[in-house]
Amino acid sequence: MKILLPPPLESPPQEQSFWQNFILLLRNQLQVSWNKLRHRPARALIGMGGLLIGVIAIVVSLGIYAYGSLRTLSPDTVQGFLSMLFMVGLGGQIFFGITGAFVALYMSDDLELLFMAPVPIKAVFAVKSVVIIGSNFLTAVLFAFLPGLFYGLLFQAGASFYILVLLVGLGLWAMGTAIAELINLLVMRVIPPHRSKEAIGFIGALGGIIIALSFQLPNMLMNSRNKFDLGSWLEQQKQMLSVMKFFPWGWGSSALVAGVSQNFLGGLGWSLLILLVGVLLFLIAFNLVEKGFRRGFISLSQGERGKRRKAQTEERGVKLQKAPSLAMLKQDVAAPASPWLGMWAVAKKDLLSMKRDTREWFGYLVPLIIMLFFIGQFLFSSVKTSHSTLMTVLIMYTIMFSGNMALQSFGREGESDWLLNSVPLAGWPVVWGKLLAAILPTLVLMEVLLVGTALAIGVSKTLIVALAVGAVFLSLGSSSIGLFYSINNCRYNPDTPQQRIAPGASLFMYLINLFFILLLAVGLTYLFLPSELVSALRDLPAVTYKGGLLSGLIYGIYLLSRPLLWSTAWRVFLGVIVTGGIWAAMFFGFMAATVRQSRKGFRVEIIAGRKKRSR
Amino acid sequence: MESVLIKTHGLTKRYGSVSVVKGLDLEVKSGEIFGFLGPNGAGKTTTIKMLTGLLDPSEGEALICNYDISKQPAQAKSLMAYVPDQPKLYGKLSAREFLHLISALYRVPKDVVKERAEQLLNLFGLQERADELLEGYSHSMRQKVVLASALIHQPKVILLDEPTVGLDPGSARLLKDVLQEMARQGAAVFVSTHILEIAERMCHRVGILKDGLLIAQGSPEELRQKVGREGESLEDIFLELTGSHENAELIKSLEEG
Repeated sequence: MKILLPPPLESPPQEQSFWQNFILLLRNQLQVSWNKLRHRPARALIGMGGLLIGVIAIVVSLGIYAYGSLRTLSPDTVQGFLSMLFMVGLGGQIFFGITGAFVALYMSDDLELLFMAPVPIKAVFAVKSVVIIGSNFLTAVLFAFLPGLFYGLLFQAGASFYILVLLVGLGLWAMGTAIAELINLLVMRVIPPHRSKEAIGFIGALGGIIIALSFQLPNMLMNSRNKFDLGSWLEQQKQMLSVMKFFPWGWGSSALVAGVSQNFLGGLGWSLLILLVGVLLFLIAFNLVEKGFRRGFISLSQGERGKRRKAQTEERGVKLQKAPSLAMLKQDVAAPASPWLGMWAVAKKDLLSMKRDTREWFGYLVPLIIMLFFIGQFLFSSVKTSHSTLMTVLIMYTIMFSGNMALQSFGREGESDWLLNSVPLAGWPVVWGKLLAAILPTLVLMEVLLVGTALAIGVSKTLIVALAVGAVFLSLGSSSIGLFYSINNCRYNPDTPQQRIAPGASLFMYLINLFFILLLAVGLTYLFLPSELVSALRDLPAVTYKGGLLSGLIYGIYLLSRPLLWSTAWRVFLGVIVTGGIWAAMFFGFMAATVRQSRKGFRVEIIAGRKKRSR
Repeated sequence: MESVLIKTHGLTKRYGSVSVVKGLDLEVKSGEIFGFLGPNGAGKTTTIKMLTGLLDPSEGEALICNYDISKQPAQAKSLMAYVPDQPKLYGKLSAREFLHLISALYRVPKDVVKERAEQLLNLFGLQERADELLEGYSHSMRQKVVLASALIHQPKVILLDEPTVGLDPGSARLLKDVLQEMARQGAAVFVSTHILEIAERMCHRVGILKDGLLIAQGSPEELRQKVGREGESLEDIFLELTGSHENAELIKSLEEG
C-alpha cells in the first residue's frame, strides 16, 4: 500500500492566546460530558430524575418547616440560622469538592495527553477547575443560593436584595471549592496512587451514608413534631449563633440581613467582602495546584503505580539478588500436595483481597449502620418493639447479609477468572475455599453483633448461646445459596468493581433465602413452641381434603400444624429432624450444585460502561 | 543537510537517592529511526517522559528541534508527537471527534483537518467505526487512533513507547511503513521497544540503556564490531551487552541436556 503523508512541519505554528486554548479545552470537556449523558442507559437517567425529585421534595419540606419556624424569631436568631446553613453548605462543598477535585486531577486519564499538547498548563488547570466548581453546583444551590432566595421571599425583599444573594452565593461557592482544592492537594500527597480508586470509593461511601441520613431528616422531623421546636432551639443557641458572625458564613448572613433591612450598601459591603475572599482563595488554590503539578509536588509519575517507592525497594533489593539459575527446572516432579491446601489458598487469596481493598470494607459497614439504626430505634424510639422482634430482625438480616456477601465471591475474580479455571483445583477445593472466605468475616461480624445486641438488651444466656450457634448454621446455609448464584451470574465492571452480580440473580437469591427461612421456621416452630399458636390450634375444627389446590394447601398447613399438639419428646424429635434435614438439604444441595458448576468452569462477565465485553 | 532534531545532554532523573536515568547524552538526526533498547526497568519510559516534557529532569537538558523542552515547551511540543505504550484516551469521544480535538490542540488549519482526519482514519482502517465511542475500542484499535492522532499535525519528531504491543502483524507492518515514510520525509523517529527483530530491521541506529546508563549506541553493524561478534543477531549483541547472556546459555544447556 502506498502511504501518503504530508511532509513534517518546519517551524512551530502560530501560538494561540490563553483564552483561545481555554475555550478549546472547555468545549472538549463539554463534548465529553454531553457524550457521557447521551450514552447513559435510559434507566440511569430515570434514576437520576427520581433522585432529583426526591432531593427537591426534601428541600421543599425542610424549607417550609424551617422558614415557617423563622417567622416568629428575632432578626439575630434568623441571622444565626442563616449562618448555620451557610456553614453546613460550606462543609458540604468542601466534602464533595474534595471528591470532585480528586477525580478531576488525580484520577484523570487525560492529563498526560493534555500536558503533551502545545497548550499552556494554566489553561488545562483552568478547565479542570471549572469541572471541580461544577461538581459543587448542587451543594452551592442548596446551601448558598436557595437559603438566600427563600429568605428574601419570606421577608418580601426588593429586587436589589437578590444581587446580594447572588454575590454571597458566588463567594461561598468559590470559597468552598478553593478550600476543597487545597485539602485535595494534601490528599493527593498522602494517598498512594494505586489506592486512589479505593480512596474515591471510601469518600463516595461516606457521602452515600450522609445523603441516606439526610433523606431521613423529613421523616424524623415529622415523627418528632411535638417534641422538637426549631424556633425555641434556635433561641437557646443564641450565644453560639452570635459567634458565627466572625466567620465567612456569618458575613454572608450579615449581608442578607442588612439587605432585607433596607441597608443595601451595608449588605453590598459584606457580600463583596465574601466574594473577594472567595475569589482570592480560589486563585491561591488554582496557582498552588498548577505549581504542584508543574514543579513535581504532585507529579504525573506518581500516577504510575508508586514509582518512587518501587525505585527505593529496587535499590535495597540489589544486594540480595543472586545470579539467575534455571536449575530448578531440572528438579524432579514433586508429589501433589493435599487439595485442602488448595482450598485454604483460595480462601486466603480472597481474605487478603478483602483486607487490602478498602472498598470491600463498606460491604461490612452497611449492616453495622443498619443494625445500629435498629438498636437505636429500640432504645430511643417512642414506639417500643419487643426483644423478640428485634432479635428476629437481626437474625433475618444475618441470613440476608451472609447470602449477599457470598454473592460477591466469584465476581471478585474479575478478569483473572482464567486462573481458578485453569488450576487443577476445580470443584470442591475452590468452592469450599470461597465459602470459607465469604463466611469467616461475615460470621465474626454477625456473631459480635448478635451476641452484643442480645447482651445489651438483656436477653437470657441460654438464648444468647442458641443465637450464637444458630447464626453459624444460618450463615452457612444462606452463603451456600449465595455461592450458587454467584458462580452462575458473576460479573465485573472495572469502573465499579463492587458490582459483581447480575441484578436478577441477586433478587432470586433473596427469594430463595426467604424460602429457606420459611422452611426452617416450620422446624423451629416444632422446637420452640409458640403458646399463642397452640391455643389457637386447639380451637380449630378438623380440616379434610376436598380436592383442588386451595383445599390441598389448607390441608397441608393443617397437617404441618398437627405435630405442635404432640407430646414434647416427639415434637422436639421431629423438630430436630425437620430443621436439620431442611438445613442439610439446602446447604449440601446448593454446595453440590456449585461444585458441579466449578468443575464445568465459570466465566465472569465483563461489563464496560453500558457494553458487555465478551472474551 | 541532516540536522539534529533530538538532543539530550547529561539528562538525569533521580527519585530520592535513586538515579533512574544517569547523564544521558544522545542525538537523533533528521531522517533517522533510532531504536531505544534496554531490559525492564532500565529507564526507557522515564527518558521518553523527560523528552516529551511529562517529567522534569533532575539534571541536564533535552532539546527537540533546538527548543529546550523545559524552557520552550509550547514550541517543542507543537513539533513533536508521542505514542505511549498504554494509550489513555477520552472514552466518551469518538475516534473522529478525538482527531478533531488533537488537530485543534496542535493548531492544524481548519480547512485541512477534515480531509486529513479522513485520510488517517482510512489509512488505519478505522473509518467504519470512526463515530463509535473510544471506550468500546480494543487495545489495538486505540493504539491505531493514537498513531493517527500523532500524525495529524505533521510532527518533525515522533517518540513511540513500545508501539507494536497488541498490534496484529498487518498493523505492525503498517506502523513500520509509516515510520519509514516519515523518516524518508525528514522526521526523526525515536522508538523504544523490546522486540529486537523490529529494531534490527527498521532502525538506522540503536541505543542500549542499562540501569539508567547508555552503554552503547550506533548502527547494528557498529555494535557487532564493538562486541567483536560479526554476523550475530542484534538479540545476541543485546544479551551480551546487558549481561543477560548467562540466561541464554543456561536455556541452551537445558535444551541440550
